[in-house]
Amino acid sequence: MRVVDVMTRDPLTIDPSKSVERAAELMNLYKIGSLPVVEDGQLVGIITSRDVRLSHLNRLVADAMSKAVVVVSIDCSLWEAKELLEQYGIERLVVVKDQRVVGIVTKSQLYAQLGRHIDALTGLNRAEFLQRKAAELLQEDQEVAIVFVDLDNFGAIDKELGHVWGDRILQQVAQVLISVMEGGVDYLCRYAGDEFAVVTIRPLEDAKNLALRMVTALAEESWPHGVKITGSAGVAGGRRSRPRSEGNEVCTVSDLVNMASLASTKAKRETRPVVVAGLVDLQEVG
Amino acid sequence: MSLKSLVPSTQSAPKRKADVTMRLSEFEIPPMQDVLLVGKRAPIGPESIRRMVTALSPDQYEVIQLEHDIFEAVVLKKALLKLLPEEELLPMVQEEGARIATDKMVMKAQVNIVVEVNRVVDL
Repeated sequence: MRVVDVMTRDPLTIDPSKSVERAAELMNLYKIGSLPVVEDGQLVGIITSRDVRLSHLNRLVADAMSKAVVVVSIDCSLWEAKELLEQYGIERLVVVKDQRVVGIVTKSQLYAQLGRHIDALTGLNRAEFLQRKAAELLQEDQEVAIVFVDLDNFGAIDKELGHVWGDRILQQVAQVLISVMEGGVDYLCRYAGDEFAVVTIRPLEDAKNLALRMVTALAEESWPHGVKITGSAGVAGGRRSRPRSEGNEVCTVSDLVNMASLASTKAKRETRPVVVAGLVDLQEVG
Repeated sequence: MSLKSLVPSTQSAPKRKADVTMRLSEFEIPPMQDVLLVGKRAPIGPESIRRMVTALSPDQYEVIQLEHDIFEAVVLKKALLKLLPEEELLPMVQEEGARIATDKMVMKAQVNIVVEVNRVVDL
């Protein structure tokens, strides 16, 4: 999913030489919370309803607008857009193409769409996020690794304690795993059921250490009803070596996830905390 | 008895007059002095002032953005900076302006600088 799929197209804009009062009139009339400020076809700022509230109505828009506008391209993914919103603590992003304003996307538009890709129980992203994020990182020529963690005997625990407690434990697992993640480096998701996965830009050896920390954190956590929650992790690393081709990269990421998943199964079978599948050249894997 | 019949017949309708006073003086160009301190919530902002001084007195003023609790910017006559360095003048202007201004005001200031030089030469 890209911002072009959810944005408001051809948004109303305003010239910087107009008054703040005019901006307020337009916002009221069209029930909008912001106006990109455009001069000679170029984006020069953005004025929001907050700027209007804090400024004298006699002022020029140029004297009330925010000059630092966070923009995204139409090809930006919804997750990238969400990260930008959270990173800058803002409510909307201006969408540009060839330096021209073509749309605006608000937090509510993004969250409504992303809500379909967020696991309601844990608040983590779902598996689709992992695929997309890994593909993005590969396109940036980053080496990536997938860490796949499968909880041990969770089905039996779920049956023994009931689904209500099973769900609470899964929520707690999510929090424990989040606590060992590093922002901008590790991207966690609930892959399915009792399986969690991380795409990370750490080198393979470092990713293995991350997997160990995840498994250790689960083992050391205090769980409801005194149950013991442990996990088995598999790690697979990959680097891009062929010319950019988004479709193929998503495909190879699937293979990478599969390798990590199989490695976690092997770890479980051999009662080892972590098994590393190795670093692969995605050209050969794909 | 009707009210109309009580009005004396000799009274005429009121006359309307206007008393016009004019005070003429030369328009100051630009309509500011040496320094303007622009409050953060003033009715006009630095961009408005920049456009004004650019149109009325090109190249004579400099708009400097400030990191200040009350003022957003200061507009200085460039000629002043030939007499006193910016790093000396700016703090002085901000400090004095902050004593009397609010963030909703634009303050103008006239700054007179007298440079005294006393040189001794060998004879």
